[in-house]
Formats: sequence, structure tokens, C-alpha cells
Amino acid sequence: MRTRLRKWSLWLGAAAFLTLPLASWAQLSTFDIETRIGAESHVGNITGHAKDAKADYRRYCVGCHGVLGDGNGENFPWVDPKPRDFQLGVFKCRSTPTGTLPTDEDLFDTIARGMDRSNMPQWSTFTKQERADLVAWVKHFSPRWANEKPGAPITIPPEPEVTPERIKAGRDVFARVQCWKCHGVQGMANGPSAATLTDDQGRPIQPFNFTEGARPKCGDTDRDLYRIFMTGLDGTPMPSFADNIKPDEAWDLVFYLRTFMRQHSKEKELAKQLGLKPVDPNAPAPAASGQQ
Amino acid sequence: MRKRSMRSRYNFAAVLSAVVLVCCGALISNQNVSAAGEGKITGTVKLEGTAPHMRGIDMSKDPYCVKASASAPAHMENVVVGSGGGLEHVVLYISDGLTGGALTAVPSEEPVFDQKNCMYTPHVLALDINQKFKVTTSDQTTHNIHPNPNPMTGNIPWNQSQPPGAAAIEKSWKATEWIPVQCNIHPWMHGWFAVVKGPYATSDASGAYTINNVPPGSYTVTAWQEDLGTQTQKVTVAAGAAGSANFTFKGK
Amino acid sequence: MHVKKRLQRCNFAYFATSLSAVSLILVSVVLTCSQPANALPAFARKYGLRCSACHESWPMLNYFGQKFKDNGYQLMNDRDAPIWQNPGYWPVTFRITPIWHRVSTGKVEIDTYSGGVVSGSSLQRVTSSGFDLSGLDFHTGGTLEKNFSFYVLPSSDATASFHFETVMARLDNLWGSPWLNVKLGKFELDNLLSEKRILTLTGNGGIYQLYHFIPVGDGNIFGQMGDNQLGVEVLGHSFDDRTRYSAALLSSNDGQVGLSYGNAYTGFFAASQAFDAGRAGVQRIGFYAMAGEAPTTWLTQGGILFQGANGTGPSAIGNKTFSREGFVGQFYFGPHVDLTVVTQHGEDSAWFGQGYGDLIDGIATANNTTGTTLPAGARNPTWNGVLFEPHYVYSPQLIFIGRYETIRMSQQANGPGSALPSASNLGNISTYTIGYRYNPFMTSRAGFAWHNEYNWLHQDGTAPDGSNINTSELLIGFDFDF
Repeated sequence: MRTRLRKWSLWLGAAAFLTLPLASWAQLSTFDIETRIGAESHVGNITGHAKDAKADYRRYCVGCHGVLGDGNGENFPWVDPKPRDFQLGVFKCRSTPTGTLPTDEDLFDTIARGMDRSNMPQWSTFTKQERADLVAWVKHFSPRWANEKPGAPITIPPEPEVTPERIKAGRDVFARVQCWKCHGVQGMANGPSAATLTDDQGRPIQPFNFTEGARPKCGDTDRDLYRIFMTGLDGTPMPSFADNIKPDEAWDLVFYLRTFMRQHSKEKELAKQLGLKPVDPNAPAPAASGQQ
Repeated sequence: MRKRSMRSRYNFAAVLSAVVLVCCGALISNQNVSAAGEGKITGTVKLEGTAPHMRGIDMSKDPYCVKASASAPAHMENVVVGSGGGLEHVVLYISDGLTGGALTAVPSEEPVFDQKNCMYTPHVLALDINQKFKVTTSDQTTHNIHPNPNPMTGNIPWNQSQPPGAAAIEKSWKATEWIPVQCNIHPWMHGWFAVVKGPYATSDASGAYTINNVPPGSYTVTAWQEDLGTQTQKVTVAAGAAGSANFTFKGK
Repeated sequence: MHVKKRLQRCNFAYFATSLSAVSLILVSVVLTCSQPANALPAFARKYGLRCSACHESWPMLNYFGQKFKDNGYQLMNDRDAPIWQNPGYWPVTFRITPIWHRVSTGKVEIDTYSGGVVSGSSLQRVTSSGFDLSGLDFHTGGTLEKNFSFYVLPSSDATASFHFETVMARLDNLWGSPWLNVKLGKFELDNLLSEKRILTLTGNGGIYQLYHFIPVGDGNIFGQMGDNQLGVEVLGHSFDDRTRYSAALLSSNDGQVGLSYGNAYTGFFAASQAFDAGRAGVQRIGFYAMAGEAPTTWLTQGGILFQGANGTGPSAIGNKTFSREGFVGQFYFGPHVDLTVVTQHGEDSAWFGQGYGDLIDGIATANNTTGTTLPAGARNPTWNGVLFEPHYVYSPQLIFIGRYETIRMSQQANGPGSALPSASNLGNISTYTIGYRYNPFMTSRAGFAWHNEYNWLHQDGTAPDGSNINTSELLIGFDFDF
């Protein structure tokens, strides 16, 4: 009796194991995807062709992103954060507004930049042509590109000079839009909502900790920081603040965020001189300023 | 499941509108007559048996929310039962039988999905495909409004912040889907965009509903409740008389 | 110990000097010369990358794998430190290769018998075949902490007699810059075409002759670029690894522990630059130079070799110079075809050319003591060599390998003025290797290759009668690591 029970539980376990991968969002068949093999990408004066990236994808990418591009490669169970599902056509690192497709350049840059604190390496060893081909290949997995155009990239005004006033103004923006709810008042990823965050697939996800020396996932230049909060990281809890932060204020916020970061910066120095205190989480929300 | 390309749908809409334009003059009186003759479907949705317990919500993560909801403590809203067993937030729509303009017409009114006292009002917002709606905030705390549709349907997830006093966000959806929406900052905030095609209604606190603008004919009406699933009924709408369909969901 | 050491050196010219041992050595050479290759499923497991992500074909690196190595076995994604791994993770990989091979050597001097007693000798071709094993490598490497890397490789011959092939620790990205990394220990020189990652396994085809060449009768064992060396290395590269350099200061002891060779150092420098060539791929060209000193005078005590104080072993002075330099190019022609070219110009001091330098079986057979002079006509031996290695990569799972190497003496140690001038082609080598490796599966957990290879080597003038020797080997095996 007991052995039979054990046998049954074994079968059940095996069945559960086999069906687990099916539970992911993959819905497209190889055939659906093949119809889009003609996908192209345009980066600068380079035209990438999906079909030319097939060998590179198989060599470098398939172990995580899977044959169908659904992020269900052999390493899916073991890596965290999980590999991107290209079929969904939803991407974190964009220069385009939330809810829109990224530009080819965005994907092109992401491949070389990699994803800090994930298993996605910096694939900067490819030639530009190979990378453009891979962008086309990534696009061919999702029907979205056949039906939609990428969003219009947001305009980023030239970076102004860092001043103490701007850093103080950045602190006000930080308080007003309440970045600290997740990122914490000192950028240590310990805000009141930090612990309950999940991504679009319901998997736990952590807000960026500015203080531990890591690079933000979508790049660590000032322009990258600007872009991150003005476009949001789709698929994650990080929203777009484009409607609520004016371009000039956005630079102030960038400068203020720099004061949290471990890396030495002019902003950090100025904040020290100013004796800037973290925002008070118990203060009533500052009145909406800068609304159009 | 939803393989139809967006483009072909647009083409279809374009052709249709052209046809409508050409025939406009000839049909104008006819249209009026038919509009006048359009009926409705009414009924109530009830819950039979014990209503599941809707636990209270701990908002202590955000002192503002605690204060805002102090007078009326918030509860989960998955199954809301009103007086006489009426089931609120049930979406009713015509899943079969509609054709032509009645099916494709997009209502011009823009319903509002408000964030108030750190809850969504309404909890379920029913919408037609391509119907514009507004997301507003009445709160003095920052929310992020994060609908999470399956991109395979053609609906694209987005995620925008709404700090206090922020302007309304105007959006629409491209395909029928039950789209969950959440605020990551306040993880208890959970609601739905119920996107359907054609006329629809949402049951009120007493479970009553009215689907307007239904031309005479035979239809299948579907009632969708987020936790209890769907039910369907055949309904006939005669000229000048309302069809009727009452639904009863069983408590678990 | 020294006999074994010499076997590991795998230099054909060296074997040829002790001709009676040639056949024996050639059989054993495979056992000791299957080069420890740094292919680590341990890394694949750590990062969830398939073998093919870092290896053009295991164990040869592609550009991404090279960058990973140059970063100190780090992806640079801030999750490299072992603190991010499951505590049970141990970065250990073993590799071994069961094989069948057939080795055939021409012009071996074999005794002839008459009436049960040796009556003379004749030159014969000796052929041996059978099932065999390679040595076993235990690779362990990775990071101790972010930007602190290590590599330890105990490697055995086929009888499980171990030595340390690699032991090194490395400080990576000093001052946050990829341009400054420092490595200390015993490690492979920064050869763009790595012998430790060679795709071939036979005795003569499983090494690069260019990296081990020693002219006939030469005593300089210290200039073997293919051997792991003891020293310190500074290495730097650009963010995308397109530009890279390395400079190493090495003990002139051919990687042997103990301070048996006095105070002699060798410098090695390599630099290369890669170019974006569109769909053809990344092209890389570079150069290397090795210049050093090594001793020729052994200290003696009571007329016999000084055995050293405090366990340091023998000691030597009288340093003489040697140099190796050349160009390296790695050219890709699309996703399937690539070609690597290495050139070399080598020069040894005339003293080495006359056999001074290394101890032979622990005896200073040639010792440059006070008053020793070079014989008339002694010159610096010099040579030039070139290596072509094309690959056809059908897929990450199947690669066809070809190689042609040739080394030509340009100046013999015993010039026209010497008592016994050497023929101008003495010791010249030509060798061809062809083979393929098929990996029936490609995952991020383990490596397995069906390996088939044929090598043919020709050396001028080293048969006992002064004629040329041809050696060939056919090898079939399973090469696997986990």
C-alpha cells in the first residue's frame, strides 16, 4: 500500500514537473514565429536581418531565452531575475513612453549593456552588424512589431550644470512624487512598499538600491537615469513619471539621486556641503507643483 | 486565440465607416427610428449561499491611507454582496447575437477610474473596445496605476505614476480582456478593466443592471464575476420591450 | 622527477636528441601531453550559460569567453562574487579523455638479433596502437569575492601522478579600471591562440610546435611559451575587450617550482587590437614578444652538482639571453569559417645552441664554468615559424579543425666554421593536423565531445642516419568534462 502511494506521488511529481514549463505565457508556435523571419532592424545606417542572427542566437542566447524566445530556456528554473519573454514584446529599457515598443536602438544598447544583477551579460563583443541582426531576431518573436510602431523616444534636454539649488529642488521632486515609497528615503531600497513588489508575472522583485554601488539596470549615465524614471521600466513596478515631472525638474531629480550613490560625484560633495537631510516620510505630501 | 491582426481590424473599421458615410443620407431617418426602437436588457445578479468573507485591509504602510479610510474601514472587494443578496461589480455584456453598428459602435462617454482613499472606485470598470476612459486620483499620496494585460491579446501593459494633484490619464484598450490593475506602492489596491465588445453594464450595489442600446433580437448575455467566473443566458429583446435576464452565482 | 618533467615538455626536437627512446616516448607523450584545457562547466553552471556562449568549440574560447576570462572569470553583472551563489556551489570541473590511438614513427633505431644476441641495429618504423587514457585535470577557478579571482589546476598524467599546472590569484579591475589587473602565481602566458584551449589531442598535434620549439642540441628549455610559467602578470583591456595588453615578469624556470635556476627572469608582452568587420565578425591582430635570460653555469660542490641549501635545489649563474617574437591574427569570415595565424622568430644565445642551459636528468652535461669557451663557428641559433589554423564551425556542436605548422632554421648553432657544421635544414619541422569534434548535446551543465583527429609530423635530419623522420598518429576518443 505504501509503495503504491509512493509510486503515485512519484507519477504526480513527474506530471507536475512536466507541466510546469507549460504554465508560462508562451502561446506562439514555431510556425507563427517563422512567418516573421523577415524582420529587420535599423540602427544608424546598419540594417539588421533576423535570419542572419539565427546562429548567434542559438550559440549565445537560447540557453535562457529559449528556442521560442519565450524566456523558457533550459536555465529558466535556475536564474533570477527570469529571462525576458520576447514574445510579449514588453521591455524594461526603453527611450519610449510606457506601454510602447522600444526603438531598435534601445534593444541594440541593451544587448551590449547587459542587465546588471541578472544573468544577462554585457554582449559587447559582437560587431554592430551582429547586434543589429540580433535586434531583428528579438523582434521577430513578438507579433507586436508587425502591428505597432515603436513609441516616439522622449526628448531629453541638454544636461544643465549641477548646482546646490538643483540638488535641493531634486530632493523636493523626490518627496513630491514619493520615490521613497519603494526606494526608501536614503535610496536604500527599503521604502514601506519595497517588500511587496512583484513584476508583471507576479514574481517578487526588489527596487533599485542606489547605495550599494550597483549600476541601474538600464544604464548608469545621467541620461540613463533621466530616461529610467521618465519612461518607467515596463514589466516591473517602476512607473513612468513623464506626466508628473517636468524635463527641467527631471534633471534636478537625477542630481539628487546621484547623492545616494556610492560612487564619488560632484552631487555627493554638494549634498554634503549643504548638509542635506533625507526627506521625511511622515510629512504630508507636498502640494503638487510643476503641474501643467 | 486572438490572432486577428490589429491592422485588419482597422481596415475593417475604415471600410465600415466609409459605408456608413455613403449611406448616411439615405438611412438617416431609418437610423433614428432604429435608435428609438432600441431596447435594453435588465435584470439582477444575486449571490446564493454564504458570501465569502472579505477581510479588512491593513493600510499601515501608508499613514495617509490609514487616515483616509478611518471613517469607513476598507475591505477586499473581490465579492461584494449588497442588500438582498445583490452582487455588485458583475460585468454583463452581450457575448453573441450582436451585429453591425450595435456591435462596433464605441460609446463616446469617458468613464472615470478614480483612486480614492487608497482604493479603486469603481472596483471594476467595464469598457468597450477603444472606449476612452480616465484614471484620476483624489488622494494625497502617490499611486502608480499599473494595468497588466496579456500583451498577446493586443492590449499593452503600461505603468504610470500619479502623485497628488496629478492630471487625469486618458487611455483605451484595443482588445477584449479582463485586465487586472494594481498599484505597486499600495499592494492591496487591486481592480479590473473589463473590456468587452458592444453594449455592457455593471451591476450596482443591489445587483441590478441595465444594458442599453440593444436592438431587437436574440442574444446571449454573459455575466462575469472576477472570482466566481461567467454565466450565460439566452435573451430575446422585442421591439419596444426590454429583455430580462437574472443571474444567480453560488457562494463557495 | 626530471624525466617526467621532460615528458611534459612535449617537444619533439627534444625527443629526437635521445633517439633510442623515441618510440617509448611517443607512446607516453599522449598521456602527458593532452593539454589541460580551461573549459569549465563549473562556470556554465554558475552563470547559466551554455558552453557555446564562451567557447567557439569547447575548449577554444570565442571573444565573449575571452572577455569573461580577461575580467577575471566575471560577467561584471555584480553577481560574480560567490556570496551570490548557493553556499553548496563549488566551482570544480574535471576533464579526462578515454581514447584509442595508433602511433607510428619512422626511422627508429632498433636492435637486430642473431642467435639470441644483439648483432647490430637497423632503422625501422615502429607502430603501436591500443586503448588509452589521457591525464586527469581538476579545474577549480572563479572568484573569491568581486574582483578577486583565482584558478587552481592540479593535473595528473594517466597514472594519476599530479602536478600543479596552474595556481594563481588575481586582483581585477584595480581602481575600477579594466585596464589594470594583476595576477600572481603559475599561469598560462597571454597567448592569443591558447595551447591550453587547443582543439586537438594527439602527441604532436595536441601542442603548438611553435610554442615549444627547441633547435636540435639546444639547451634552452626556458623559452617555451606554451608552458605555464611562474610569475606576475599585469593585464588590461578595454571595456569591450577590443584592445588588450599583458606584460608578465616570469622566472626563467619553465614553470617548475623550487628555485633551481638561480636568478633569471623572462619578460613576456602581448598586445592585440580587434576590429569590427560587420557580418564577417570581429577580426583581431596582435603581436607578442618574449625576451629573457637563463643560466648556463651550474654551481658545483666537490666537482658534482651543488644540491642547494634550505631545499632550494641546485643553483646556477651565467645568464644568457634568448627571445621569441611574432604576430598573431584571428580572422573570421562569417559565422562558420575562421583562421588563426601565428608567426614566430626565435633566437637563442650561442651558449644555449651548444647545449648549455638545462640540466639533463639532473646532470649538468654542459656546464659553462670559468674558462669555458664556445667552439669555433658557434652562432646564435635562429629560426622562423608560422602556424595556420582554420576552423569550419558547422554549428556550436560540430567543428572541423585543420592546422599547418612549419618551423625553418635560419641560422644553425654550428655554423660553417665549426668542426661539424649542421645542415641548414636540421631540425626543421612541418606538421599537419586535421580533425573534428562533435558535441552531441550543448547545455550549460557539462561538456562532451566525440573527437577524431589525425596528425602527421615531419622533422628534417633527426634520424640516426641524418635523414628525416615522419611520425603520425590517429586518435579517436570521448573528451568530456563536468
